[in-house]
Amino acid sequence: MSGKVIVIGGGVAGMQAAATLLGMGHRPVILEKNTRIGGKLNDWHRLFPSLTPATEVLEQLKSRLDGVEVLTGTEVQAVGSGEVTTTDGRRLEADAVIIASGFEVFPAELKEEYGYTLYDNVYTTVDIERMFNEGRVCLANGAAPRSIAFLHCVGSRDEKVSQRHCSRVCCITGVKQAMEMKGLFPDAEVYNFYMDIRMFGPGYEEMYREAQEKYNIHFIRGRISEAGETQDRRVQIKAEDTLIGRPLKMTVDMLVLIVGMQAARSNVPFAGCEGIRLRPSGFLEPADSFCSNVCSGTPGVFYAGTATAPKNVGESINEGTAAAVKAAGYIESGKGDAGR
Amino acid sequence: MPVDRSINWGYSISRPRAIDMDANDHDAASQLLRSLPELQACIACGCCVATCTAGNLTPFNFRKVHTLVRRGEYKGAYDELNKCMLCGKCRLCCPRGINTRGVVMAIKRILGEY
Amino acid sequence: MDGFQQDILTYYDHFVIPFTVGAAVLFAVLAYKYCRWFVKLPPADRSLTLRGLFSRKVFGAIGEVVSESLLHRRIFRVNPLLGYMHMSLAFGWFLLIAVGWVEASMHLTEGYAPLHAHVFYKYFVPEPTGAAGERVLSNLMDLLLLFVLSGVALAWFKRMRSRALGMKRTTKHVVGDRIALTALWFVFPVRFLAESAEAGLKGIPSFLTGNLGEAMVGAFGSQFVSGFSTVAWWTYSIVLAVFFIALPFSRYMHIFTEIPFIFLRRFGLRSGEQKTTYDNFQIEACSRCGICIDPCQLQADGGLNDVQSVYFLRDRRYHKLSRRVTDNCLMCGRCEAKCPVGIELTALRLNSREKFSALPADDRYAYLGGVDRSSGSGRVGYFAGCMTMLTPRILSSMEKIFEAAEQSVWWADRDGGICCGRPLKLSGEAAAARRMMEHNRALFAKQEITTLVTSCPICLKVFREDYDLAGIEVLHHSQYILRLINEGRLEVVRQDTAFAYHDPCELGRGCGIYEEPRDVIRKAGSIVEADGNREDAVCCGASLANLEIGEEVQQQIAAAAAVRYRDTGASVLVTSCPLCKKSIGRAFGKTADIAEVIAGSLGG
Repeated sequence: MSGKVIVIGGGVAGMQAAATLLGMGHRPVILEKNTRIGGKLNDWHRLFPSLTPATEVLEQLKSRLDGVEVLTGTEVQAVGSGEVTTTDGRRLEADAVIIASGFEVFPAELKEEYGYTLYDNVYTTVDIERMFNEGRVCLANGAAPRSIAFLHCVGSRDEKVSQRHCSRVCCITGVKQAMEMKGLFPDAEVYNFYMDIRMFGPGYEEMYREAQEKYNIHFIRGRISEAGETQDRRVQIKAEDTLIGRPLKMTVDMLVLIVGMQAARSNVPFAGCEGIRLRPSGFLEPADSFCSNVCSGTPGVFYAGTATAPKNVGESINEGTAAAVKAAGYIESGKGDAGR
Repeated sequence: MPVDRSINWGYSISRPRAIDMDANDHDAASQLLRSLPELQACIACGCCVATCTAGNLTPFNFRKVHTLVRRGEYKGAYDELNKCMLCGKCRLCCPRGINTRGVVMAIKRILGEY
Repeated sequence: MDGFQQDILTYYDHFVIPFTVGAAVLFAVLAYKYCRWFVKLPPADRSLTLRGLFSRKVFGAIGEVVSESLLHRRIFRVNPLLGYMHMSLAFGWFLLIAVGWVEASMHLTEGYAPLHAHVFYKYFVPEPTGAAGERVLSNLMDLLLLFVLSGVALAWFKRMRSRALGMKRTTKHVVGDRIALTALWFVFPVRFLAESAEAGLKGIPSFLTGNLGEAMVGAFGSQFVSGFSTVAWWTYSIVLAVFFIALPFSRYMHIFTEIPFIFLRRFGLRSGEQKTTYDNFQIEACSRCGICIDPCQLQADGGLNDVQSVYFLRDRRYHKLSRRVTDNCLMCGRCEAKCPVGIELTALRLNSREKFSALPADDRYAYLGGVDRSSGSGRVGYFAGCMTMLTPRILSSMEKIFEAAEQSVWWADRDGGICCGRPLKLSGEAAAARRMMEHNRALFAKQEITTLVTSCPICLKVFREDYDLAGIEVLHHSQYILRLINEGRLEVVRQDTAFAYHDPCELGRGCGIYEEPRDVIRKAGSIVEADGNREDAVCCGASLANLEIGEEVQQQIAAAAAVRYRDTGASVLVTSCPLCKKSIGRAFGKTADIAEVIAGSLGG
């Protein structure tokens, strides 16, 4: 029994879900709001902890989508059991739906005290990835930075911007980029300001240790409270070195804000649909955190990837597989309980 | 103003000895945490200290004071907190949403007679 | 002497005793309270009062007493139905007394008529003579009674269904209130019945009591009605006595206290940092009408139902004030702006905080001695304020504006400064705050500045009110920017952007600055006004004055405020306070300070 499955979102989770369904003999359709599929992976340079080029993973996923119908420029307004309504009013029917609509990067300008988009040399981790992809990593004036500060937890674990959750992947992203910057600018001093370092994945802790031992990256335990700009466009930062218990001030050439993941705004209209609920963080809440962690409250509607919580690329791909298998089971059981 | 030429360890009320959790009186600490339970959520990120208007001008470390008070170390805390200007910058920074000004006043109220 | 005794007995019946005792107690307590408060006033306030008594201010006060204590015009403005209720009770009762006095004086001609003879006029009046004037007066009295009764009916109705009178919530009462309230509810209906029975028995013609009395006699016979009238007069006297005795201990104390309060306020008395007995005049002038409850965002958005000004005043009056209530106030001033009595709610709340703090030690803030991190020089000084350090866009915009206007500036605190002292003052530590103010004042005085500009309304308010900055004009940056534009020193290019504007509490209600920021915004675009602005603007929730609420309530208030501005359809919210910007910004989205708007629209 073959069925049509709408996959909302053409990022890693969506592509993997579609590829899996295709392999199982179903007919997946990817709805992608942007003009191309690939999601955030398009913006990344190399992936932690192996430093695999993002394009490599992207090509691999894309290569398995031959025969999958992809509707780009299509945004979804509402989801129901067996149907999806787009923002331009089209109603698409399907046997099952997988929501893999992903996350948004925290807009760092909301933390005004760090001066993003105000000071010349304050960047986000997303900017750094882009600069690596463009092959031109430098200060606003084109010079090479001699001192770089990374700030962890920007837009994560922060009540002040209503982002209470931990985005998980930013710690390792900060470590990875610190190493990459050090690799690019061996003479530069790199400082990572953190509240907690959370190395949850395989190889992450090892990478953290490598950053400290081999790359001589300074980890300072303290959250930067504010940044200022000097006459010569350097960035002055204030923090407390909490392990010593004294305020710390320093001037760096470049400040990189390690931005977190926030729930996509597209989750809000979904939450108005039957059986779909939001967590307090704004991410979608699966039926439970265990056996039904890719299921919604509505039969035939499944979740994959960062639509439900911050996850790394590997986890999102796994969830793509899991959701596809659940969706296939749901269709094959004649839309009974098997999908649960 | 007399110049302190000794090494500045940054904080005048932390003394070089173990915090004796067995011997310390925890009543005031419990009272504080009952009135402001969110203080227990402090993750010691140091933002409050980094931004502190008073701490910018004199050795004063709010994070250390309230942490010591929570451990039952009350000596000097009241006078230390009298350096605070209650300007509220720390509250605007605190990623845990702690009512830091409330903490300052609660400690002073509780330890006022100490 | 014999003749006088005879007169007294002419107008005597045992039932007048409760009333007479009640009235005596009432006036004794009133006299005791007011004399005590007046004597204990600070000398300066006392002399203000004495001087005021012999000035033209008295006429203004009398006018206000008539328009407020009797007509309740301000309540009318907030809520016409509620205003009518108060007016019918206050003004109606007053007219009943006044016209009743005329009526009694005309007809009780047999010797001296004591107070109770006027009050129970219908009982003591002889058979009607049938004169035309008599008829007119008795009909007029009926009309007035009907007027008061309509107010009583509304009061009953309000208790049952407060929403019908346009109030989401009405006040919770104390025991004294309940006794007085119950008595008050019965005073006029019982009077109505007693007078009707008496009118029926004596054949006094009038459209209300006369007709009802006639019907009563017709239906039940004069013997029954006679017995009924005795019971009714006794009840009327007792109910009046209960009301009079409960009055000074209940919210009805406002009926009388509002009068001296209006006079004292007109004479220039104000509540200040320290508690005085003038506070008592204010506190007991509160009728607990509850108009302050609905504007309170802690109630509307924060779910706090027992901290509003009406409860604060009640608790303070009965010495039951808890720190939680005292400290749980945004001091946004929304309730004060609405208070029909004009009580200084914020000042009273603030001086109630005083007792929670000890006197500052001598060496407190000793470390401030000689602190000067200022830079630059010029006739204009700029004090960013602590909060502005966390909103650097305001700072950099001001820098751009000064540069564009070619104004050299003395930067007071760009590299760290001393807090203005208002946050400490708002926490009740006024004496300690003065230490900080003194340091800043000395710092300003050292400079050659003639103008001091600040971006923070909190600083602005304290500079204006508590700093003695002779020779230095203190301006909010919105005022300063407007001046630069009007003087032609700043060229601003107007765009099509529509802005919503949020009035910060300390700038708007606090300093009365509403128009300058709007004028500035209009130079750069257009304004769409939100529902609730100027005097009625909402607080952002982050007020430093509230020492109690946590993050959650702050965010709820900010979110509710953001909705008002989102409803305008404007894509950009403009404000002129760094704290408001931070607080509402996180809920609204794109939020800019007025300085950013101008710095982004500079031409040339």
